[in-house]
Amino acid sequence: MNLYRQNNGLYRRWMPRSGRKRLFFATIFIIILFVFDAISGGKLRVLARGAGSSVWGLGVSVQESIHGSGFLSTRRGLISENTVLAEQIARLQERSAAYQMLKDENEVFREMLHVAGGVQGRDKKSGITAPIISSLRASSYGTFQVGAGFADSVAAGDLVLSAENFVIGRVAEADSHTSLVSGIFASGVFTDAVIRGVAVTVEGQGGGNARTTMPRLSEVAVGDAVISAVLGARGIGVVGNIAENSGSAYKSVNIYLPVNLSALKFVYIVKN
Amino acid sequence: MTRHLLAVAGILGAIFAPPWLTILCMGLLAFRYPAWEVLFIGLLTDFLWMPPGFFSPLPIFTITALILVWGLEPLRKEFLFS
Repeated sequence: MNLYRQNNGLYRRWMPRSGRKRLFFATIFIIILFVFDAISGGKLRVLARGAGSSVWGLGVSVQESIHGSGFLSTRRGLISENTVLAEQIARLQERSAAYQMLKDENEVFREMLHVAGGVQGRDKKSGITAPIISSLRASSYGTFQVGAGFADSVAAGDLVLSAENFVIGRVAEADSHTSLVSGIFASGVFTDAVIRGVAVTVEGQGGGNARTTMPRLSEVAVGDAVISAVLGARGIGVVGNIAENSGSAYKSVNIYLPVNLSALKFVYIVKN
Repeated sequence: MTRHLLAVAGILGAIFAPPWLTILCMGLLAFRYPAWEVLFIGLLTDFLWMPPGFFSPLPIFTITALILVWGLEPLRKEFLFS
């Protein structure tokens, strides 16, 4: 009886050894690239991000050309209507949260018998507006790129704000004309914050969502603003859902960022 | 042809699309071919999006690419994929 594996010959014919060899050398090569990048302080990353943002810009211009040509106009009309409505909802939510936040802040100021100096106004003088030059959903690390870098006085740790002064993220790395921003609610990011006077630690969940726990007896309602003192007493989110368990001493609070990230085109960068 | 299409889709997915699409392209490529492209797609994705810091966070796409490429090697052998 012939015990020779019948498919061995086929395998050798169909799967040349060069395939595995190439794979082996490619593995060695990417390890070398990775180590070189780490040693050189991220030079390869800067190149990759530059190329990525160029391709992104090209994609956006192609998309705009297709829009301008009138191709698929009915579908596009519905999509744009949908986008406009979604933007309106997000804007209203953001304004409502900002109003709530200002109301709370005003109450605190009144209690302290101080005149509000206008933190927002001061920051707006020292910050810059930057365009978003990458996809906001492509990163699994909760990061995105903006078109301003250390040549524009942007530095790691600077805050990235929405139009209504909500903190969206922090500059993680600044290159010459672009910067990588890490989302404030990126997965695994912890931020100290205050909800209705109760100090909490908010844990980012990614996608503009976060969660925290509060003592069961603390008063909290859907729509309450989440403010972070370490980020210049700015809003970082809004309470979206509260889950209580009668057997637990804590209640779970889900928080969301009231900013439509997919419609965002510009952000504001300020020093922290 | 399919290999090239999947590789291009993976690279464009790393720039434009949600992460699951890139992972899907990498998985399909690694399942069907001994594709060195998978490693470069993984590295590119990490270089594009990973915040600074050596192994903090972990370069999940590069690690996933290595696991896919070498982990699926016995399976490819078994099914005689070229």
